[in-house]
Amino acid sequence: MNASMKLLLVLLISLEVSFTHSLSANLLLISASLIYLLIHRTSLKAIMFLALVPFLPALGLFVTIYYFSPGQDLHFAWVLFTRMYVYVTVGASFTLTSTPLELALSLEQNWHLPSKFAYGTLAAFNMLPKIKSAIVTIRTAGLMRGVVLSWWSPQLYFKAILVALNWSENLAQAMISHGFVEDQPRTFYRQIKVTGLDYGFLLGILVMIQLPIWLLP
Amino acid sequence: MQSLNVNNLTFEYKEHSSIFQNVNIAFPLHRFNLLVGPSGSGKSTLLKIIAGLYPQFGGQLITGDVTITDVNLTTKKHQVAMLFQNPNQQFTMNTPRNELIFVLENLQVDPTQMDAKIDAALAFVDCAELANRNFNTLSGGEKQKVALAVIVAMDSPVILLDEPFASVDPTAREYLLTKLTKLRDEHHKTIILAEHDLHGYQSIADQVFQINPGANNIVPLEQTARENLFNQFKSTSSTATISLPADIDEPVISLINVELKQQDKPLLKQAEFSFFKDKITLITGENGIGKSTLFNAIIKLMPYQGQITLNDRDIKSIKQKKLARQVGLVFQDAEDQFLSITVTEEIELSKKHRITNYFTDQLIAESLANLNLAKHLDQVVYSLSDGQKKKLQILLMLISGQPILLLDEPLKGLDISSLATVLALIKKSSQKQHQSIIMISHQLTKLAGWVDYHVSFEHQRLTYQEVL
Repeated sequence: MNASMKLLLVLLISLEVSFTHSLSANLLLISASLIYLLIHRTSLKAIMFLALVPFLPALGLFVTIYYFSPGQDLHFAWVLFTRMYVYVTVGASFTLTSTPLELALSLEQNWHLPSKFAYGTLAAFNMLPKIKSAIVTIRTAGLMRGVVLSWWSPQLYFKAILVALNWSENLAQAMISHGFVEDQPRTFYRQIKVTGLDYGFLLGILVMIQLPIWLLP
Repeated sequence: MQSLNVNNLTFEYKEHSSIFQNVNIAFPLHRFNLLVGPSGSGKSTLLKIIAGLYPQFGGQLITGDVTITDVNLTTKKHQVAMLFQNPNQQFTMNTPRNELIFVLENLQVDPTQMDAKIDAALAFVDCAELANRNFNTLSGGEKQKVALAVIVAMDSPVILLDEPFASVDPTAREYLLTKLTKLRDEHHKTIILAEHDLHGYQSIADQVFQINPGANNIVPLEQTARENLFNQFKSTSSTATISLPADIDEPVISLINVELKQQDKPLLKQAEFSFFKDKITLITGENGIGKSTLFNAIIKLMPYQGQITLNDRDIKSIKQKKLARQVGLVFQDAEDQFLSITVTEEIELSKKHRITNYFTDQLIAESLANLNLAKHLDQVVYSLSDGQKKKLQILLMLISGQPILLLDEPLKGLDISSLATVLALIKKSSQKQHQSIIMISHQLTKLAGWVDYHVSFEHQRLTYQEVL
């Protein structure tokens, strides 16, 4: 499915789930997302991680509603508990099956996002692993001059921001010298299209989940 | 003859202190033009002005323009391609293939022709196998090869290169130079290349332009001046003899059954090896062979198998904080070393926690003057030229005074007169402070007289060599 359509679907589902309280619909969405992830050969390790991360906040919600709210509504406690998992699994169905490149290309070609944003963000995304190693480098540089930069030291982040500013300027120069001109038309090697099938999936899935959301408890 | 003209150029970074004043130059088209001059003289600035990056990204253009056969370059897009000094920040995408696609899309090339152009460009620099590797896993030299492939794909008539070989080993450098000559001879490109290390250019360069910082002008060199210039770099063509470690040498850092890997690619497998105390040891080896990675392992920034010892103590048992006071690393990228804002503040920071008191205020002042940094004390370190940054960085780490100092490409981007000053400073400081120095360098000009031992890193092994 087209990446930006998939993102739209995920956002719409998450939004609707925020305003409803059907436990069965939540469970259905979680199972459907898990099946979708398994079809896309997501590793079991990643899925276990998905199960673990929202556990504490979900438990917190459950306990608050069930033990400390005036009504002690068990059904609503479960709704909130599963809602956390809906967000995570539905979100993962997008993030674990699409690349930033696919999304950027789709936003650029299908929704006319200025290419400056599309490629600027992409370049920044490709820099992420380097930011992590840059922080380690800064701390090492500090130690070698006898300065201990702790994780909360403003000097560490001041330097990190300087590094990032410098990178962004170099990247901008590099993009221009690689032929990029703002607002100039570009050709597309990978033609990304929004097909009728994409619209079909978007509407079909949205309609399908209305039934359990509104009819089942 | 047709030429690329820089007309009446006056350019300044700070008001009333112009870096160029009414400069006129004519670079002949379809020729290999070499641009030389001391560090900080404005080589990068000139190239970026021609590329149209300045004044957009810095400085002020007071007067002047750049024309090719009377056509103003600002009105004609995609005439100039540029390859930068720093291989790390010149790509937008994650892999060479995606970058090439991005570039061709920018040039509005028909998508059906792209695959052929991409394959041809990668084949031209022999790096088809890198096409789908992530840039974060490529070495500096590999990235520069890809950057050249991008330029080949862009097919612009003018190619600018700003010290493109600063982090490239001699084999790759020679290879890339033959490719550049091929671009000139068979594809009729105009090449303007700024460089410090001039060996290997004598037979290639058609014209040499020298920037004279005092006179604020740029002049083409006459035959004799040109020969004198190249002769300074002659010495490296003959090999110098270097002694092997003696039995009395005391090991300071030892590797025992050490295995180093990067993304499952084995880099080093060494049963036994030692670096020796109070010596200056030079490590040479090709790009991406693992020299910097070895340094990172020694300061515990990189996992390894086996044992690395410092004065017979396993470094794994030494806390990072303590280790950093024993072993200092001069990073390949000078900016990585800086923690403050101005030159003076950086010097003060180094003085505050220094380990020895060898560098008195007077000696620091002298060293700054020798390194031509005395006039830049209040300047923001990031606004120094690359050569100036490098010199400051080395001084800062020498003041720090760790007993062991690892230098990763300390001579990168230095002009030939700074080179001798820096080497003399390192040598003297290491003798007075009893420092053991291990340095990586691709730049070998005039180095033989300064180092005690030479280690070559090849076939995943370190071995002492008798020649350099």
